[in-house]
Order: sequence, then C-alpha cells, then structure tokens
Amino acid sequence: MRNLLSFLTRTPVVAALLVALGVAAEFVSGATVQIWSFLLVNVLLAQSINLLTGVAGQISLGHAGFLGIGAYGSALLMKNFGLPLPLTLLAGAAMGAFSGWLLSFAAGRVREFYLAMMTLGFGMIFYEVVREWTSVTGGMMGLSGVPSPGLRTLTLFGWSVGPTAYFQIMLAVVAGVVWLLRNFVTSPFGRAFFAIHVSEVAAGSIGVPRARTKRNAYMLSAALAGLAGGFYAHLVGYLGPETFGLHRSVEVLVMAVVGGLGTLAGPVLGAVVFTYLPEKLQIFAEYQFMVYGLILLLSFVLLPRGLAGLLLPRPRFAKDVAPLPAPPPAVPKPSGSGPLLSAEGVSISFLGLRALDNASVTVGAGEILGLVGPNGSGKSTLVNIISGIYRPGDGRVTFDGGAITGLPDHAVARRGALRTFQDPRLVPAFTVRENVLLGGHRLYRQNPLAAALNLPGALREDAAMLGRADAIIAMAGLSHLADTPVRDLPYGDQRMTELSRVILADPRLVMLDEPAAGLSEVELQRLGGLVRHLKERGVGVILIEHHMDFLNELVDRVVVLDSGRVIYQGGMAGMYRDPAVVAAYLGTETQPGEAVHA
Amino acid sequence: MPDRINPVGGLEIHGLEVRYGPVEAVRGVSLRAEPGTITAILGANGAGKSSLMKAISGLVPATAGRITLDGDDITRLPPHERARRGLSHALEGRRLFHRMTVEENLKVAWDFRNRGGSFRAVADRVYDQFPMLAPRRQTPAGMLSGGQQQMVILSAALIHEPRYLLLDEPSLGLAPVIVQQIFGFIESVCRERGTTILLCEQVAAIALRVAHSGCVLRRGQVVRGGPAAELAADPALSAAYLGG
Amino acid sequence: MRDPLTLTLSPEGRGKKKDDAMQFVLQLVFAGVCVGAVYALIAMGLSLTFWTTRTLNFGQGSLLMTASVATVAMLGAGMPAALAVPLGILLAGGLMVVAERIAIRPLLKSGDSMGWVVSTLGLGIFLQGFVSSVFGSQAIAFPSLVFDSLDSVDVAGVQVSSQYLAVLGLSLTLMVAMELFLRRSAWGRAVRAVSHDADAAALAGIPVRRVIVLSFVASGVLAGIAGVMVAQITGTVDPSFGFNLMVLGFVAAVFGGMGNTAGALVGGIALGVIEKLVGGYVSTAAEHGMAFAILMVILAIRPQGLFGRKEFTKV
Repeated sequence: MRNLLSFLTRTPVVAALLVALGVAAEFVSGATVQIWSFLLVNVLLAQSINLLTGVAGQISLGHAGFLGIGAYGSALLMKNFGLPLPLTLLAGAAMGAFSGWLLSFAAGRVREFYLAMMTLGFGMIFYEVVREWTSVTGGMMGLSGVPSPGLRTLTLFGWSVGPTAYFQIMLAVVAGVVWLLRNFVTSPFGRAFFAIHVSEVAAGSIGVPRARTKRNAYMLSAALAGLAGGFYAHLVGYLGPETFGLHRSVEVLVMAVVGGLGTLAGPVLGAVVFTYLPEKLQIFAEYQFMVYGLILLLSFVLLPRGLAGLLLPRPRFAKDVAPLPAPPPAVPKPSGSGPLLSAEGVSISFLGLRALDNASVTVGAGEILGLVGPNGSGKSTLVNIISGIYRPGDGRVTFDGGAITGLPDHAVARRGALRTFQDPRLVPAFTVRENVLLGGHRLYRQNPLAAALNLPGALREDAAMLGRADAIIAMAGLSHLADTPVRDLPYGDQRMTELSRVILADPRLVMLDEPAAGLSEVELQRLGGLVRHLKERGVGVILIEHHMDFLNELVDRVVVLDSGRVIYQGGMAGMYRDPAVVAAYLGTETQPGEAVHA
Repeated sequence: MPDRINPVGGLEIHGLEVRYGPVEAVRGVSLRAEPGTITAILGANGAGKSSLMKAISGLVPATAGRITLDGDDITRLPPHERARRGLSHALEGRRLFHRMTVEENLKVAWDFRNRGGSFRAVADRVYDQFPMLAPRRQTPAGMLSGGQQQMVILSAALIHEPRYLLLDEPSLGLAPVIVQQIFGFIESVCRERGTTILLCEQVAAIALRVAHSGCVLRRGQVVRGGPAAELAADPALSAAYLGG
Repeated sequence: MRDPLTLTLSPEGRGKKKDDAMQFVLQLVFAGVCVGAVYALIAMGLSLTFWTTRTLNFGQGSLLMTASVATVAMLGAGMPAALAVPLGILLAGGLMVVAERIAIRPLLKSGDSMGWVVSTLGLGIFLQGFVSSVFGSQAIAFPSLVFDSLDSVDVAGVQVSSQYLAVLGLSLTLMVAMELFLRRSAWGRAVRAVSHDADAAALAGIPVRRVIVLSFVASGVLAGIAGVMVAQITGTVDPSFGFNLMVLGFVAAVFGGMGNTAGALVGGIALGVIEKLVGGYVSTAAEHGMAFAILMVILAIRPQGLFGRKEFTKV
C-alpha cells in the first residue's frame, strides 16, 4: 500500500494519471463526473486550509467564509455583470485574498487561540451577512440562476461549456495550482511559513518578518479558497447560506487533519475520503456531524500526522536541485571604523526589577567575547536587547555602523546579527539540511512568483544555497545526518544544526546563548571548531556560557555581569583574580558600597 | 503507602538522575541531610542545583534513583503529597503569588496542609517575626521589595513548621544587608525549631557560614563534599565554580 | 446557526409612553445590559479554565445548548423544574470533566494550542451532532419557568421585561458569588494560585490536578446556567444555538482582558449595549457583525484587552 501510494505521488505518474482522468471523463456517467468535480473543489479547499493551518500554523475555523466570498463574488459578477468565467474566477480568488488580508491585520498581534476564535467568528459573521443581505445574496432563499455547465448556461469564449468540459478545465487549473503550491512550499518562502509555525521567535531570529509572513499566508490561503468557491458556484448553479456555515468550515478542517497537515498529498487524500464517504455510505451521511466531531476530537492523539504520515514517505521541504559547488567564504569588510557592535548604557526593567543597569559592551569583527555572570545577572537579557526581542528602556545599540536600537528582531537579523537560543529551536519535521537552509533566509533574492514557477534564476539560487549548506553541514560533521529529520536526532546534533543554520546566513555577528550546555566533550570540540571558523571569517561572536574551560580556550575577552551591571571586562586570566568577580560568584562579607535592590 | 526502607530519619537521596528530554541535568547524585542541620548545595548556575531541589520536592520527575524522607520512599509521590509530609520548598526567583496579598499568600500556604490550629495565631507570629510585613498584609506581594518578598516566601514555606525545608537561592538579587538578615533567620529556624534545611546557593561564602555541611555540584554531579568549615577553607572551591 | 438573542426586545416597548425616543433608547440599553451580563457569565466560564490551564473549550457553546436541551427533555418527561434545571446544568459540568480528560490533558504536552483547539471544537461539534440526531435539528420550545415572556415591570418609567430582570439579577449574583469564592474560599484561592504559578501552588500543598478539574466543572456549570437563562429568554432551543454565544462570550472576555473578572463584566455589558443599540438603530442583522468588528479592533490594537496588563514574552 505504502509503496503503491508513494509511486503514485511521483511527478510523471501524477501527470499521466491526470491526463487519464481527463480523458476518462468523456466516457463515464454524468453522476461520476459530478462527484469528480466536487472532489476537485474539495482538493482546492483542503490545500487552502492546509497552507494556512498545516504549513503556516495559523488555525482557521472559518474557512467556509473564504469559500463563500469567492463563490458569491464569482456568481454575482457573472450573473449580474456578465463577466466571463476566467475573470470571475480570478475575481473570486482576489476577493478571498482581500478578506484574508483584512482578517490577518490582527494576526500580527495575536496568536494561538485568539486567532482561532477570531476565525470562528469570521465564519459566523459571513454566514449572517449572507443570510441577511437579501437584496444581493438572496438571503435564506439563496441565489439561483448562476450560469452552470449542468444547465448548459455557462459559456466560455462563446462556446457552451458542458459538465465534462467544466471538469476538464477544473482538473487543469487544480493540477496547475497544486504544482505551483508544491514549488512554493519547497521554496524559501514556504520554509519561512513552517518556521513561523514552529516558533515565531526563532523565525524572527533568522530574519523572517512574522506579521508579513502570516499576512501572506492568510492571503494565499484565502485566494485558494476563493478560487474553490468560484468553481463551486458554477458547478452547482445555486448558492444558499447553509452551504457556508460552520458545518462546511469543520468539514474542510477534517479533510486536512485526516489527510495530514503540512503535506501536499495529505489534503488530496483527505478530500478523496470525505468526498466519497458521504456518497457511498448512507450511515455516514446520517451521522456526518457526529463523525466529524469525533474525528477532530481524537485525530490529534490517534493520528497526529494524518493519513499521509501513515501511508506516504516523508515529504521534501527543499527543491530537488543539484547543489552548486560552494565558493570560498569571503571575509566581509567592516563598513565602519569603530567596533562591529557596541551597546552603550543599556538599561531595562521588568515589573520594577532592574534587569540591566547601564551596561555597555563592544565586540569587534573577528573577536570572541565571553559573557558570563551568575544566574539572573542579565546576560540573556542583553542578548535579547541586541537581537531586537526586547526594546531597551535606555541606551543605544549600534551595529556595523548603524543604529539598531529598537529595531524588530527580523530586521536585526537581516542586517547580519544572528543568534541562537538556550534550547535549539528547529523545525522538527525538517531534515538537518532543510533546517540549515532556513538560515539562508536573509540572503535569498528570488521573488515568490519565480519560486512558484520554478524559474531558472530561482532554481540557480536554490542550487547555490544548497551547495553552501552542504559545505557547512560537512564542516559541522553532520553530512551523514543531512537527510535525517532533526526530531530524531540527539541534542548535540540539534545544537550543531542550529549553529550551521546561523553560519549559512553569512552573519557579521553571532550571539550564542549557552551553546555548550548538555554537550559531551567530543561535541564541545566540534562546537569550538565552528566558533573558531566564524572568528577566522571576521565574524564577531558573543558567547554566553557557564562552562569556563570551554570559554577559556576560545574567547579573546570576557565581560562579567552581576545584577545587570558590568563588573569586569578583560582577559579570562584577570577575571579569576578580580575581587568583584570572585565576590559575585563566591560571595564575600558585606560590601558597603553595593547598590541596594531590596 | 510507600515502603518503609530505612528506619533512620533524615532526607536521603540515592543515585538521583534528572533529565529534560535529551539534557541530563542531574547525574547520579547521592547525599544525606542529617536531621536538624543545614546542608549547603553549591555550584555555578547550570550545575543542576535547582533540578536537584525540584526532584526532591517532586516538581520534576526523577528519571532514576531514590528519595527517602524519614525512611519512607517518596520518589513517586506528587508534590502536594510531599508537602503534606512536612517537606517544604521555596523556589528560586522569588516565586510567590504576585497579585495576591501578603496575607493571601500565607493563607494559600496554610489551607491545604492544614492540620488544625488557628491561622490567625500563625499569621500573627509571622508579623511578629517580620514586623515590616505587618502594615503590608493587604498589599499585593508583587509590590513588595525583594527582601520583603523573600520574607513572605520563607514565612509561607515555614507556616506549618515543616521538618524539612528546601531553599533555592534565597540571596538572589538581594542587597547584602538583607541577605545577612535572611540568613540569620534561616540559621535561627534550624537552631530553634530543629528544621532540616537544604540550602542551594551560588554565593558560597555566605551559605557555608550558616551551613553544617555542604557539597559542590558541577555539571550535575557532586564533585566535593564535607563539613562546611573544611569546604570554606578549600582553595579548590573557587576552581569548582570558575573552572580554572 | 440561529441567533438566540436578537429578536428579544419586547415589541410593545416601542412608543407606549410620551417620550418615545427616550423610552426606546433606555429599553435598548436595558436589554443590552441584561444580555451583556449573560455574555459576562460565559466569559467567566471561559476565564476559569484559562486561568488553570491556559486553555478554553471551543465547544463551550455546545455545553450551553446541551444543558438547555437536556432540561427541556427532562421537563418533557414530567420531571419537576426544580430537579430538571439543576440536572441539566450539572450535565454541562460533567461534560467539562470529559472535555478536560480527553480533549485537553493529552494535548497540553505538545505546547502548541492547535491540538486542544481542534479537539475541544470536535467535542462541541459531536455534541451538536448528537443532539441533532436525538431531538432533530428543529427548534424546541423551552417552557417559561418563573416569569412569562410577556410579564413586565415598570422601572423608573421604563417597561422592563421580568425575565430580563431576573436574568440580570441572577447573572450579577453569580458573578458576585464567583468573586467571593475566588477571594474568600480555600479552593478559590487555590484556583488563583494555580493560575499564577502552578509549581509554587503544588509546593504549597495544593492538589493542582483537582483544582484544574474543579475549574472545568465550574466553567461547565456557568455555561449550563447561561444556556438555561438564554433559552428562557428566547423561548426555544435548537442544536446550533450556542456557538454564537460562545464567540460573544469570548469577545466579552477579550474586551476586558482575558481572565479579568471585573473586565469581563464591563466588557460583556459594553458589548451587549453596543449590540442592542446597533440592532435598534441600524439593523438587528448587524448586531453580531459589530461584535466581531470589536473583537478584530481590540485584538489588533490592544490584545491584552481594555483592562488587562501586558504579558511578557519569556524568551
């Protein structure tokens, strides 16, 4: 079964199947063509919600709203204004995209269940508007007389379109859309969607702007649903509000969840199952709502990766291109005369507690700076401020000759200051290579359209990035694991993957938050090698670490923080003898000069 | 009921391991806190001190090893059950209920381990002990100074006269004067009430001044142990912290 | 998805007294306050589980519905109201225990909200489907229990429906009782303690698991009471009523800042009044559209709500 299905997902096989299906439509009964047509609408819908929920991680409980907007939009434009089918379909998709754009406005600000509730509300409001806006939608009576192939009222360029021809048109369009989607999902833009899904903070740290990325996900997904709506409207020739209620939103979600979120084959499988089940099983049709409820209730526990996860091989998240040989890394020239990074007089308070108090730190190009200090001394806070996660209450951060104080994290990362976190934040379903490729996000020059169309320029860029990624993976000693999903890897290899990801970004400054924690001696050696490699390339490195032996071998200089203040700057050797440092770690008798925090 | 393994009293930890996913935080720690003494657990941050404490009080599961309290195996008991057996744990980072008043913080600590007695009397004793809390009993705990918060935490942890007290970094972020006061109080609790105390500290000197014995953790393992006076005089102590 | 609370303004309210316009406004405001109190009650129910587990039941609407349909069914079987109503409400509480056990607890480990959002929605959909298959999807009449729907009293010159007044009184009483429970009782304090810091609460001897289950039961009971009250006002129940109400309760909760009791009350009442005024002067169809617009605007501008405080993102 598994072999058969994975054989069926190969591109030439899929193409042959599609042609066969198009030809077969000429010979099967009208009822069969009808079911096949509904199946195609469902495939589009399931792909639509999968892109938003499965890929970008933004749950949608009101997808019927997007569907309905496209359906009514397309139907009304043709019925009332006589626009031709291609235009009304495009207009339906555009209206869907516009509603997605509107809905995403709050998306930059809120997450998780707030968003879920919002989409649920959106679906309900759409239903009410359709029901009450009788003059346009026909209200509860519905909208009839939509030009339809079944009634022989649909024309295209002067020719009447019958049900079979309509199915063939849909088949071509849906196949094209899924092909574009596949290319898009395996492009840097698709990987950015996954990155947002897994961790918005981590996505920001590699230069992915979360609000814009989410907005794009909403618009794309809603456009697909709008397109599905347009096809649906003409397929049935009649639209009523009941078609676009909560029931439909749930059905769309069920298809994607059961098929397998985050894959392209999953939604197709889901659409097949839930198009045929109600047709073939009377009992299912009767208890449809209860069954859908049970499926949603249990599927995340029983079938977390859906049918696709059960039956198909793991999908790829990068394009299948031959890597170009990696050029030798160029040593960047500093664009200013001063230090690469300088944070001056930085202060920040949380709930009245002074986490950083007038702290100043500089890092030069090619310098490794150790940042040490007892628990709660403000080390991570300082890195969070430099990397743009916190906005300092006071002080100034300049990087590479420009002020970055208060810039959002993704903007800081785009300028070349990258960081890692105490816990490796990778995309678990991605392989090592795919995770490393994420790091290249700030370097890509291709546009989404070129990526979706697999234009030669985009493919060439992908090949070059792949070559560089493979070289870095080799340097990190991960080549034998490059095709292993990172969720199956031990902690140390995940750490190395994360660091490789940062290196691929061609950074000017790298901030590592406790990279050595939990690593074995051998892994520490490899980690040290990578850090030295960065230094040789003229990258400035800030290393937060408690492992003093590890620091000793690497750093040029250390800065010691205590209670948010810098108490020592200089060499490691001097640090051991510095009375303030020894006091901070070991404690001494009361020092009258100490600031009182109580 | 847990098996009675060891008739001797005290808190005993044997071969304890704690893992967070792939990270080993505590690797085979064994130690014994003699009844009525203060044991200091020293080490830099990341050494596994807090994880050790949390495993003892039950907040994180022990992946291996055994914890016995007065001879009873408590390794698998939920934290609130251990609390009811007289094991009290004050977390690091001044974790009290910030939006609740001082009095409510004490009441929450009292309610569920209640073995009779009058809350009023106990609360009044707390205000006698720390007079500066008395006028602030209706103040949300989050509005107090760090030192006052630490006093509330200690009072709440001690409200039922536990036989065992785990203290995690009580000096963190406090001014030296306040630290002295807090440690004076800790010492008196042990001396006057006979409470067995396990004291986690980064600041070794001050902890060793009140402790009877101590041990040093490094990367999840005990690397040194012995009477407090011996440890304090050990020149290798600094190396254990700073790695040099 | 029928809308239970739109057509409830008593028709004879319009134009009885001299000052028609004033009378109309006051009636709208009053109806808004009453309906808003119910929203606030639903918001309270959502807040309770949010406090203890940072989750909420997306099938809460179906609990409202199940409680009221079960009550109708028991009344229809000849059970006295004094028994049927509490049993219906308790059923909602019991279902929340089920929700916590199978739809939330197994999915909390992943740290991602998508799992429990989908599973609790699934439970709600299942209940809706179940009730439809047993009772049919048509509206069922809900008998008047205390006051008839046409009873009214005169409050300061304004004709006020007795049922509305009773709903308002009961909602406010429940909110006060809830607040007293949270502030004055050991278990109430335990709920707050768990919400602040579950670890510290466990160390204080609080049985955290039991507190969580308690919060779910209380949440379900509040939903059940809200369901019976709404059914009483509208006079009918059907399987699809409830989902709208849950979203409106959520808007009220977000309006006041998620998890803030006083905020939920102010938010619920403000929402109810705005809705009724929009319904009275623009169109009843636009009522919920307005509520949704409010939700969008609040989430876009001030996600922590009007009274909430900003939460720090811990990195």
